[in-house]
Amino acid sequence: MKTNFIKTVGKIALILVPAITLSMNASAHDPKMHAKKAEKADCSKMDHSKMDMKDPVAVAMMKKCMKQSKSSMEKMDHSKMKEMDHSKMKGMDHSKMEKKENKKANSDDHQNH
Amino acid sequence: MKALKILLILLLLGGASAATVMYSGIVNVAADEPHSDIVYWLLEETREASIKKSAQHIKVPDLESPELLLMGGADYEYMCSSCHLKPGLEESDMSIGLYPQPPNLGISHETHQHGTDEELARQNFWVIKHGIKASGMPAWGKTHSDERIWAMVAFIKRLPTLTPEQYQVLTAID
Ligand code: HEC
Repeated sequence: MKTNFIKTVGKIALILVPAITLSMNASAHDPKMHAKKAEKADCSKMDHSKMDMKDPVAVAMMKKCMKQSKSSMEKMDHSKMKEMDHSKMKGMDHSKMEKKENKKANSDDHQNH
Repeated sequence: MKALKILLILLLLGGASAATVMYSGIVNVAADEPHSDIVYWLLEETREASIKKSAQHIKVPDLESPELLLMGGADYEYMCSSCHLKPGLEESDMSIGLYPQPPNLGISHETHQHGTDEELARQNFWVIKHGIKASGMPAWGKTHSDERIWAMVAFIKRLPTLTPEQYQVLTAID
């Protein structure tokens, strides 16, 4: 009798708990969650010297950032860029960039560097 | 003959008591009221056994590819992080309000024994594809290819090791 009761309760719960919980989703109200959509990758914090290029995570991050910088370059309107002053462009620190002597051996798509 | 009669009476009694429980309304289905220990145990054991059995013959592909991580990362952020959280997000409306609670996939569960990496991968694949009845976990296989589901399995495997910054880059939209 007791086990029967427990099983029944279990079965009822099995059906009704998800129904209730799923309908609760309608009240998810943290505005922060809805606010951010389609965020761009923040590639500025990547420290190449600390990245192990055998790690799929590191390779994936490189790929993402390269793809993103490429697509944003394509969207740039070069005709409006007459006043660009390259001397004022910092941020690119070549001394921190890994230099590979043997470019041929480095066969994945890093040549753009 | 006598045994049959007793059986019939027992069956009837069982049915009647089940109906009483069902229709009396004494079972509390509120999600903010946890199961009793025994019901919880019953459901958990049943779920674990079911997943293990259903997933046992699934072939696990190579999950160590950057492309899979990128594909799975974007999907995870968009479809899963609200329930299963992510590096830097410890709780959400869903993670607090759902019962059973969605596990935090951003931290590794060493205490939770699922066996080898391969077993875990195929079980995760099965759960993502088919969902779990009586929980908030949807069956994503109805709307997503196996490839995208494997990508999420690959991503989840690395998720506990990711910093919030790494997560942000991997999951961002192109
Ligand atoms: C509405 C909330 C919700 C969403 C969205 C959701 N899940 Fe879940 N998921 C759950 C709940 C709840 C459970 C636990 C079910 C249980 O314990 O019976 C779960 C369980 C799981 C598990 C099993 C974990 C374990 O250790 O047992 C995996 C893996 C999983 N979800 C992956 C995903 C992935 C990947 C996505 C996105 C495609 C996703 N989930 C989206 C609610 C959700």
